[in-house]
Amino acid sequence: MVNDNVIIEVEDLVKVYPGGTRAVNEVSFSVEEGEFFGFLGPNGAGKSTTMKILGTLLGRTSGRAMVGGYDVSRNPKEVRRTIGFAMQEVGLDDLATGWDFLVMQGLLYGMSRRESKIRTEELLELVALTDVAKRKVGAYSGGMRRRIDLAAALVHRPAVLFLDEPTTGLDPQSRLAIWEHLEQLNREGITIFLTTQMMEEADHLCERIAIIDQGEIVAEGKPAELKSGVGDDLVVLSVAGEDESERHRQAERAQELLGPLEYVDEVFATDGSISVNVKDGGAAIPSLLQALSREGIAIVNLSLTSPTLDDVFLKHTGRTIRDEGASGDEFNRVMGQWMGVSRR
Amino acid sequence: MAVFRETYYIYLRNLKVWLMPATFLPPLFISGVLYVLFAATFTEVTQLGGFTTGDYDAFLVAWIIVQAVVFSGGDSGFALLTDVMSGYFDKLLLAPINRFSILFGSLLVSGTRAMFQGVVIVVIALALGVSFKTGVLGVLALLGFAAVFGLAWACLSIIIALKTKNAQATQSSFVLFFPFAFLTTAFMPEDLLSGWFRIAVKANPVTYVTEAMRAIVVEGWEMGVILTGLWVTIAMVGVLMIVTTWLYRRVTV
Repeated sequence: MVNDNVIIEVEDLVKVYPGGTRAVNEVSFSVEEGEFFGFLGPNGAGKSTTMKILGTLLGRTSGRAMVGGYDVSRNPKEVRRTIGFAMQEVGLDDLATGWDFLVMQGLLYGMSRRESKIRTEELLELVALTDVAKRKVGAYSGGMRRRIDLAAALVHRPAVLFLDEPTTGLDPQSRLAIWEHLEQLNREGITIFLTTQMMEEADHLCERIAIIDQGEIVAEGKPAELKSGVGDDLVVLSVAGEDESERHRQAERAQELLGPLEYVDEVFATDGSISVNVKDGGAAIPSLLQALSREGIAIVNLSLTSPTLDDVFLKHTGRTIRDEGASGDEFNRVMGQWMGVSRR
Repeated sequence: MAVFRETYYIYLRNLKVWLMPATFLPPLFISGVLYVLFAATFTEVTQLGGFTTGDYDAFLVAWIIVQAVVFSGGDSGFALLTDVMSGYFDKLLLAPINRFSILFGSLLVSGTRAMFQGVVIVVIALALGVSFKTGVLGVLALLGFAAVFGLAWACLSIIIALKTKNAQATQSSFVLFFPFAFLTTAFMPEDLLSGWFRIAVKANPVTYVTEAMRAIVVEGWEMGVILTGLWVTIAMVGVLMIVTTWLYRRVTV
């Protein structure tokens, strides 16, 4: 390994499904220990395929994939002990109670029955499902299912947690609850690798992201860096004035005043308001207001628009991530991924 | 060894799934009903001669067990595909266990199920007044036959499941194998059969399994018939198990 702290290392990873679909095309990236790393991309981009290869659920065609220092193909058992994996198609035993499901997970990871029961109690508490532990998993709500799935992925205290679209289909409240759990786990030192097609999720949770499209990584970096690479923040200020001509005059004064400032890239005055392009809108606003106030220009309204990760995706792919609809019926997707015959 | 421990846990889990009343009661009920109906319909057929027993209730026991196993054999493949569809199968594959323990845990439930079906039929037979020529040991041997035969049919259904990759197709395709249960000495001894039917019956391995089990119930320790049935059963399990594990390895690695 290049860096001792690297816990996931992928080099020139390729996955070609029978039938010729190239789902992952020479993907390379690395994740450091303790990092919260996100894979952002639309359906069919190759996110889940990459994650399934890293999770030992799928074989690769070529390239290298290491997790926790183990090669995923040569040492799959060691990799499985290192990772927890919560899937997009939540893999639950609907006929078991939450309690039995987690105890069984512990047993499968080599714990004694006693150890597994103790761990199950801890985990149920962690994901706030103690009250419904004796209920069948099949009767759980969407949010509860994701939480018990997360608990199952944590049974053996994994160093790395793989989460495949952990909040897709959840209501905002349940999504926030999952986000809080994930942030807490990451603070405790667990490396998290997450795939998502929700920009808000990647932006909110991930320290670093890779944007994947049609099997290739098109951009990688910290969300803020990626967004600032797309363009400036836009600050729009409405000036005060007794009538239209007064506001117009004040806006033009403001334009002359702000134009020369070092951190301002561009400024336009239009009908009593001024639009200012700056690198970092949040940081610039106080200075902008101060400069205007010194010259007696009063501001009555202010708005800040920043580039989103969708803009980043648009810049690199020419499409918005939302354009990419869900594709394929559920059966083909689930079966195809398992049998390795899916088109992705 | 870890693989036995893992197989045992998977077995317990699958046993729990099977033991839901809605899953395990209907096939048992149908087998019981078929037994009682056929026994009542054909009770005088032993008068035709050629039967080694005058008790048609006893004659039917072996075949009723065989048909119970054949008719519910498709459940194993269906259960496997249900776990695949729900994603639970992936969850099991993600655990650091030998992936064959998932297959074997599931197959062992099929053996247990076949044995349990045997127990129910034996209990009904005893209630109808059937006396087992080979006593308690014979009943145990009968249940052993049922369990191994159950494994063979479970393998067959898992092969279909792995080939069709579709739960409904697995259940439907399995119906194609039902004739194997009927093309046997189900209702009459071989001597009373004729024409193409008799040829088909002789070519059908299930006939030899049925005959061995029947000998245990109505004739006693007729080792010739019993051993032939035993070898046929073992050969069926052997071949089907090899195909199953080969296919399973191919799709899970």
